[in-house]
Amino acid sequence: MKKKLLAAVLCLAMALTTVACGSSNTTDSTESSADQTTGDTASSGESGSNTVVVAMGSGFSTLDPGYVYEKYPPLVINACYENLFKFYTNDGAPEPCLADTYEFSEDGLTLTVNLKQDVTFASGNPMTSADVAFSINRCKNLQGNPSFICDTIESIETPDDYTVVFHLTQQDSAILSKLTYSSLAVLDSEVVKANGGTDAEDASTTDTAQDYLNTTSAGSGMYVMTSYIPDQEVVLEKNPNYWGEATNVDKYILQIQPDSNTQMMTLSTGDIDIAMNMTDDTMAELEGQENVALINAPTKTVGFVMMNMNEEYGGPVSDPQVQLAIRKALNYENFKTICGEGTTTPYSIIQVGFMGSKGEKAADYTNVEEAKQILADAGYPDGFDIDMTVTDLDMEGVPLTDLAQLIKSDLAQIGINVNIVSEPWAAGYGDAYRDGTLGFTVMYWATDYNDPNVQLEFLPGKTVGLRAGWTEEMDPELSALYDEAMAATDNDARIAVLEQIQDDTYENGPFIMVAQAPAHIAYNTRLEGVTNSDPYSLDLTLINIVE
Amino acid sequence: MEQLKFIGKRLVYLVIMLLGVATLVFILTKMIPGDPTVANLSQRALSDPEIVAAYRARYGLDKPYIVQYFLYIRNLLQLDLGTSIRTNNPVLQELMRCYPATIELALFAIIIAALLGILFGVISAIRRNSILDQIVRAISVTGVSIPSFWFALLMLYFFYYKLHIFPGPGRLSNSFSAPATVTGMYVIDSLLEGNPAKALDALSHLFLPALVLAMFTMGLITRTTRSNLLDVMSTDYIRTAKAKGLGRAKLILRHALGNALIPVLTVIGLGLGNLLGGMVLVETIFNWPGVGQFAYESVMSADYPSIIGVALLIALNYMVINTIVDILYGLIDPRVRCK
Repeated sequence: MKKKLLAAVLCLAMALTTVACGSSNTTDSTESSADQTTGDTASSGESGSNTVVVAMGSGFSTLDPGYVYEKYPPLVINACYENLFKFYTNDGAPEPCLADTYEFSEDGLTLTVNLKQDVTFASGNPMTSADVAFSINRCKNLQGNPSFICDTIESIETPDDYTVVFHLTQQDSAILSKLTYSSLAVLDSEVVKANGGTDAEDASTTDTAQDYLNTTSAGSGMYVMTSYIPDQEVVLEKNPNYWGEATNVDKYILQIQPDSNTQMMTLSTGDIDIAMNMTDDTMAELEGQENVALINAPTKTVGFVMMNMNEEYGGPVSDPQVQLAIRKALNYENFKTICGEGTTTPYSIIQVGFMGSKGEKAADYTNVEEAKQILADAGYPDGFDIDMTVTDLDMEGVPLTDLAQLIKSDLAQIGINVNIVSEPWAAGYGDAYRDGTLGFTVMYWATDYNDPNVQLEFLPGKTVGLRAGWTEEMDPELSALYDEAMAATDNDARIAVLEQIQDDTYENGPFIMVAQAPAHIAYNTRLEGVTNSDPYSLDLTLINIVE
Repeated sequence: MEQLKFIGKRLVYLVIMLLGVATLVFILTKMIPGDPTVANLSQRALSDPEIVAAYRARYGLDKPYIVQYFLYIRNLLQLDLGTSIRTNNPVLQELMRCYPATIELALFAIIIAALLGILFGVISAIRRNSILDQIVRAISVTGVSIPSFWFALLMLYFFYYKLHIFPGPGRLSNSFSAPATVTGMYVIDSLLEGNPAKALDALSHLFLPALVLAMFTMGLITRTTRSNLLDVMSTDYIRTAKAKGLGRAKLILRHALGNALIPVLTVIGLGLGNLLGGMVLVETIFNWPGVGQFAYESVMSADYPSIIGVALLIALNYMVINTIVDILYGLIDPRVRCK
């Protein structure tokens, strides 16, 4: 027994020594091993390496473009696939990518796109109009999360190999932006069909290509997916058949690192190159650190207060005067503090950064005394008690309950006593929100696709407007601006109508936009071209290693 | 023959228990509020009845609960745990992907916990009320009471970020690709691949998370070993052995420790069962793609098939471990063998 105990102690000591030695010599041993072992490549995050490691906060439920809808898949899809159009800058307009030229018909109901003729997929197959039609019809017929994006596409014609004609159900000024969306990425139809893909009307039950596309890419992008370990990492390597001009990054390792402290430490030690999910605290830790650059920029994800126009649900907050008082009472600077550096409050319902945005809300907008007076004029000189329902979601890392606490404290100053009621998203809140039965709540809106038209859903009679009991009859003039904005394919005309909509909702309606959440990204300065991207989270095709 | 009968009986119990657990968890998941459709479809998709209907049909959510239950049990008997609503992969495949990572970490943690816990417990008992005893007791109390997520951050901060002694989070350094899956445990698979450097790298990545996880169980083992050893040391047969002039070391190691270890085995078994269920926070901080993270993601997505799959796995863990502990009892204590 004595010998056994001694052996156990020795084994433990050996293990400790081995582990400690192993780690302290990690670099040396791994480098030598990398030379010896096929498949193990030079360490990333080291100066001179052409591999870039990116840490992301969460994984993917799918990487099949036809189904993708979450935050991070576009980062992979944009690197491995291409669309007809693309956002080359975050705040710009969509520009042709696989498209060469395009033209709208006079009535705005037909869009004709001529394709580039020298594009090949990673497989070597040429990209043709049949691939475009297949990809978009497949997304539409899969009936998945992003299928709604094809709602205005009635049919697609392919008169020749390099022409695609979109017949639209209605005028849609956002159609070019929609065609940039990851779900409408152009797939190598030959490869996808060979792996069970179909664009038939019954694709939702007959398409079996998702398993294949979850682990392999079939696009014409700068990179190809070479490895995917769910909830762990994705590896992208350069597409040897890439038709365009590639950057000098040969390989990306996209790691899932849910904790921001972990991302801060791994970036600081050089194990990763880009940390996507930093917080104000972890950014502060990195401030001034050599070789690390920081980005604090507003995203287009916006938090908003919703006051139901239907008195049955909204009670006193359905009164437009009370809504104005609440608007005046909120201290928007506090929202910026709680959401972190880079936060901004938009002027009205269209986020800063979108075409036609009227910028930020004036810093001196808040006026508590005026709010009290408006509330008194509305018949509530002593204020009132009200429940505010809040769900368990967070807006880019900021819990909605934190926003609710701020609202509660701001409204207490004008006598409105807010009682915060928590309700899980999947257990009641989601249904009530969708059914328009929530009286008073704070929620967030992440843009479906990168176009100001997504905000038109906040207008009376539209998806989000109806959730606040705001019907078309309540504001027919404002409702009419929806059709005008949808029809305005000319940018100047679009901007004019979007500005009109912002003015009309500035102090009118059941929504108060309180904050555009910021993105906190930190990266190694050996890289250039790292910027926050609303459509792709991070555009890997723009990043280069500084020589 | 008796042994085979015992094992056969155990297996039958195991199947019945698993069916019971599956039924219970199925009922509970249906009773708790939470709709997978609302949890997984976007706000825009939820507004489209066609998309909602297609989604519900794809995952069989459009059928009555009773039909869903019988389909589930029928599939379960064919070892089909269904398809994950979140990832669209078979649940069994998902569990086989993340379970080896948890097993590897849990085994390493339990080895550390058992070795250190027993060692500390023995030292504490034989040096009762000494400074050494006080130190060991302080360590064990700290181990039991320290929040694991905080300890995990602390360990990572000092030993990886500040001192660079141990490697960072994850299962392997970026310079290595994952070994070809044989067992799913990177240390073993790297060795099977003939790459000792990769195995050593995987081993070094195990150390910090395993130490964090070991702390709690180690504290329990230390305390259990100490108190049991003290009890045993005051029994008549030990006094007799002392009177016969037996050396202290021989007395403790040969006569006392064996008996004192029986309850410790139970603690180790329970500790291992607990660790094999996955540790969400530690796995999150150390970027360890194990069962804990999978369970967390599944709950957040109201992914019923995956939740039931994880529950069955945890139940199976405890059943198998309890059986092994029962067998080990017999090996350590001849009285149990005789019974």
